[in-house]
Amino acid sequence: MTERSDTKSNYSRRDALRLMAIGGAAGLIAPNLLGKPAFAQNPPASPTGRVVVGLSQEPTVFNPLMPHIEADEAVHFSVFDALVRMDPKGVLQPNLVVEVPSQKNGGISEDGLVWRIRLRDDVRWHDGKPFTAEDVKFTLELITNPKFRAWRTAGHSLVRDIKVVSPTELTWRMEEAFAPYQSFLAETFMVPKHILEKEADPNAAAFNQAPVGTGAFKWAQRVAGDHIELVANADYAGEGPYLERLVFKYIPDMTVLYTQFKSGDIDLVDQAFITADHYAEASQLSDRVVKLEPGASVESIYLNLEKPQFKDPAVRQALYAAIDRKAILEALYYGVHKPTETFMPQNSYYYNPNLPAQEFNLERAGQILDEAGWVPGADGIRVKDGVRLSFANSTTSGNHLREQTQQFLQQTFAEIGVEMTISNLPAAVMWGDFWLKSQFESAISGVTNVIAGDPDVSNRLHTKAIVAKGGKGSNTGQYSNPEVDALLEKGARTFDREQRRAIYLRVQEIVRQDLPFLPLFAYTNVFGRKQGLEGFEANSNTRVASWHAAGWYWKD
Amino acid sequence: MTALVANAGPSRWWRSRTVRRFTSHHLALLGVAMITLLTLACVFGPHLLPYDSLYIDLRARFSPPLTGDHYLGTDPLGRDVAARLFMAGRTSLLVAFFAMLLSTLIGTLVGVIAGYRGGWIGAALMRTVDGFLSFPSIFLLLALAAALKPSPAMVTVIVAVTSWMEVARIVEAEVRSLREREFVLAGRMLGLSGAHIMFREVLPNAVGPIIVAATLTVAHAILLEAYISFLGYGIQPPLPSWGNMLEGAQQYLDSAPWLAIIPGAAITMAVTSFNFIGDGLRDALDVRDDRV
Amino acid sequence: MRGFLLNRLSQSLILLLIVSVIGFLVLNLLPGGPLAQFGLDPGMTQDDLERLKEQLGLNRPLLIQYLDWAWRLLQGDWGHSFRDGAPVLAVIGRHVLATLLLMGTSTAIAIAIGTWIGIRGATHRYSLFDHVATVGAMVALSIPTFWFGLVGIYIFSLQLGWLPAGNMYTIGDGSVLNYLHHLILPSIVLSLVHVAIWSRYMRTAMLDAISQDFVNTARAKGLSERRVIMKHVVGNALLPMITLAGVQLPSILTGALVTETVFTWPGMGRLFLDSLGYSDYPVVMGLLMFSAILVILGNLIADIAVAIVDPRIRLG
Repeated sequence: MTERSDTKSNYSRRDALRLMAIGGAAGLIAPNLLGKPAFAQNPPASPTGRVVVGLSQEPTVFNPLMPHIEADEAVHFSVFDALVRMDPKGVLQPNLVVEVPSQKNGGISEDGLVWRIRLRDDVRWHDGKPFTAEDVKFTLELITNPKFRAWRTAGHSLVRDIKVVSPTELTWRMEEAFAPYQSFLAETFMVPKHILEKEADPNAAAFNQAPVGTGAFKWAQRVAGDHIELVANADYAGEGPYLERLVFKYIPDMTVLYTQFKSGDIDLVDQAFITADHYAEASQLSDRVVKLEPGASVESIYLNLEKPQFKDPAVRQALYAAIDRKAILEALYYGVHKPTETFMPQNSYYYNPNLPAQEFNLERAGQILDEAGWVPGADGIRVKDGVRLSFANSTTSGNHLREQTQQFLQQTFAEIGVEMTISNLPAAVMWGDFWLKSQFESAISGVTNVIAGDPDVSNRLHTKAIVAKGGKGSNTGQYSNPEVDALLEKGARTFDREQRRAIYLRVQEIVRQDLPFLPLFAYTNVFGRKQGLEGFEANSNTRVASWHAAGWYWKD
Repeated sequence: MTALVANAGPSRWWRSRTVRRFTSHHLALLGVAMITLLTLACVFGPHLLPYDSLYIDLRARFSPPLTGDHYLGTDPLGRDVAARLFMAGRTSLLVAFFAMLLSTLIGTLVGVIAGYRGGWIGAALMRTVDGFLSFPSIFLLLALAAALKPSPAMVTVIVAVTSWMEVARIVEAEVRSLREREFVLAGRMLGLSGAHIMFREVLPNAVGPIIVAATLTVAHAILLEAYISFLGYGIQPPLPSWGNMLEGAQQYLDSAPWLAIIPGAAITMAVTSFNFIGDGLRDALDVRDDRV
Repeated sequence: MRGFLLNRLSQSLILLLIVSVIGFLVLNLLPGGPLAQFGLDPGMTQDDLERLKEQLGLNRPLLIQYLDWAWRLLQGDWGHSFRDGAPVLAVIGRHVLATLLLMGTSTAIAIAIGTWIGIRGATHRYSLFDHVATVGAMVALSIPTFWFGLVGIYIFSLQLGWLPAGNMYTIGDGSVLNYLHHLILPSIVLSLVHVAIWSRYMRTAMLDAISQDFVNTARAKGLSERRVIMKHVVGNALLPMITLAGVQLPSILTGALVTETVFTWPGMGRLFLDSLGYSDYPVVMGLLMFSAILVILGNLIADIAVAIVDPRIRLG
């Protein structure tokens, strides 16, 4: 039972579906958020059944505004609501608002500085209290409260003068125009004022262990180190829920996670999904739907551009040409992932498909280096101006597939007189200062460059995002190109989708040319669920598969 | 002085009796035979096999044992498992051996000083030993492995730093009991320096337990190296070690079980050998030891 | 007795001090730290990281951080987890039962089988059974636990499909039978080493007891050999075993670490590894102190138990 969905055809199929759904065509399954077309007959009238979701990380943070990891968001999306949601197409849809604020409908002023939000009037917290504009104001203010250990504050820190106009309407002013904030709101879950305002220390509130939201599922219980159980919120304002119980089970080992999916203990595999090596077998399983879904991360070799070896663009081009991507992807990753030339997710609206394709050619790679004046030294390693073409490559130790990739690259690079040593570190060390403050020479990393589906990548590619040079961001490869900087600044101020698209297509072109990092592949996640679990849809604009459990149901 | 030598120095009858006892200990002999075999295989094996332990051949990945010239099959990169196993043996055994030397040195030093000096120095040293012992060893291992760049030398140091406490305890107990013996008191009366008495007169009498403990430490060190490398914090690829061969093997347990079974069997064999030898030495040297 | 306890108490406090200082230093000297997990978070800026660092008090001098932590601990405040904000004791408490279940089962197996093997080995010294037990114990001690677990999973879960490959129970099935089913493999794997240790100690202790004068006296009184063994020898041999049991108490945490990892058991061992992975300092420190307290308690229980059973030993 495998449906291998090609990225592009899937895109257009969804496009067509959406148009038809909007046009009122019956009998088709439309994306869940786009109203309730014909398929609403299928789900049960009252919530029934239970779904066990397997996660390879343990959700432990239940206050959605506090620092958390991917797995936590599986719970957040089910227990809480945000003002808006990002649908699988990358289009914002209303969640707690009546309509998504935009410049067209007047929700955002022409200069992008004044925002007006209109809320639904039929939403209630799980404890029965009505949800109002006061809750929104409280949430946004809590995020920037210096005493509160908030997750990221980008965008929120620009919000000023929040005014509650009525229980269903509020306005605020932005310090400067910042288009990505629309998308950021999709990951800003609303928390109840009436519960949290009483807490002296919001960081240690009881709420954080037993959250109360407005979402489709209510908190039931947690068995630490094992699972979290949610129950249906019968009074949910939106669509669904159709399930009576939703369980998130923590299984720290990916192989065991898969084994339990195989044995039927788990109904759906979420973060970090089925591993590539199990894909072939998984797709043969009966009564299981195993599907390849494009993810948002891109696996690349990051080069620290301040190291003398990597300053020469010829070196970067030669290394790129010396990567046998086909062998890596087909043999080591079982053909699951897709080659890519850019940092942008392939099913993003802003993806540039017209970039020159990388070609594996060792001869050409050697030639590039020869022409640039890198000549082999006594030990066979190339040298130029006293700089040996030798570098260390680091990644998380214990990541087997990456370690295999490293060893494979090591062998091919050696053939063109380039020495790559392997120096892997435990995750907590690797992604700390070593990565953030650019202390590595080269690193393999799978990075999601876009935030909540928004194409703004200033945080990764702008000169001001280089921490090692006093900047604020995660431009850890220390890439710096004034043209890219200017484009990124313009993109962040532009609200129009088409105009933004042009800007980011150009950014991708320049970056492909400069090669500040060498893209290996775009992640494709192997999603697996039991046959009969309907209403499921993948969404690469979110980090988890359980972004819309409200729409799931068992077909009988 | 002659009396001292007669008491402290090893004499012939003692030695020959030890040898006789050891050679009549069948398990110990079996241990010696196994470890000799394993060592020879690790030293000469790689030269006899047709494949290099580092040669990657993606077309031949996951060949099961006895495929063509791949007697023990291949790994996920198509490298010959047999060649890797023997090369890994070199790394693992060397790391274990040097870790043993280092930890025995630290342990002996601490033990002798603590046992001979006693008083607050002894108490402080022994409480530190207790402190180290009350950590889950994996904590110190992982913490050190994370802090230091993992190279074979560093892994050796890490293993040694987490396994010297047993030796220190054994030596301290031994030395404390020897401290009040006549030959030591005689040495003191002769005006010999503390260091001289400690290392020249007392230590030789504690050699038996130290040798036994050291042998068992090798066994322990092999296991520790395997464990930290299994978790990915030890010896780094492409250099093979028995532990890092096991790393990732869990993932292929279903499809390529030999990847997990073969290195594990080699580890078990090596560790068993050293445990057998240690047991034989304990009997031969007449050492009373609380450890198994 | 009071002098003994006071002396013990002061020594214990010194031990706790040493453990906490070493633990705290080692943890904090590690590069990375609790915020490294957000290093790859797409929207986390350096500003956010600096702010969180300050909010968590991680930018203060190390000595101040330690003193603050120690002072709170003395007042009974073990701190809050960096991850979920819950009190450390509550976090540990949530995982204690799973570990106790696993350790309890395997210890029961180990004591039962180990004692039996030890007694039989000593009474039938140099018999085939004794030899096999000796060799078996040494081999058992030589097998890497994680590898033994993997082989067990391969044979009994993947090949035969008899036993689950991990977890404490199946969700939605909390029956005792289900727990037992999941317990079999990990508890056997975990007990292997303990059976080996226990049987060797028991054998040695038995042989020691057999060679003592009172045994000969008992024999001379004309008691049957079986009676002599069961009453005098085993009774005396069990004395040092109480000490062993006490000394083994701390392995509740360490022993289960590997097994819990391989079998995805939601106990303290895995909590420890997870917390170390996320650099959740308060929880790691809490577990270290917990483990140190177990060491102290274990030794204390061992000494007191021996003193009560054997009036010849006086505590002082």
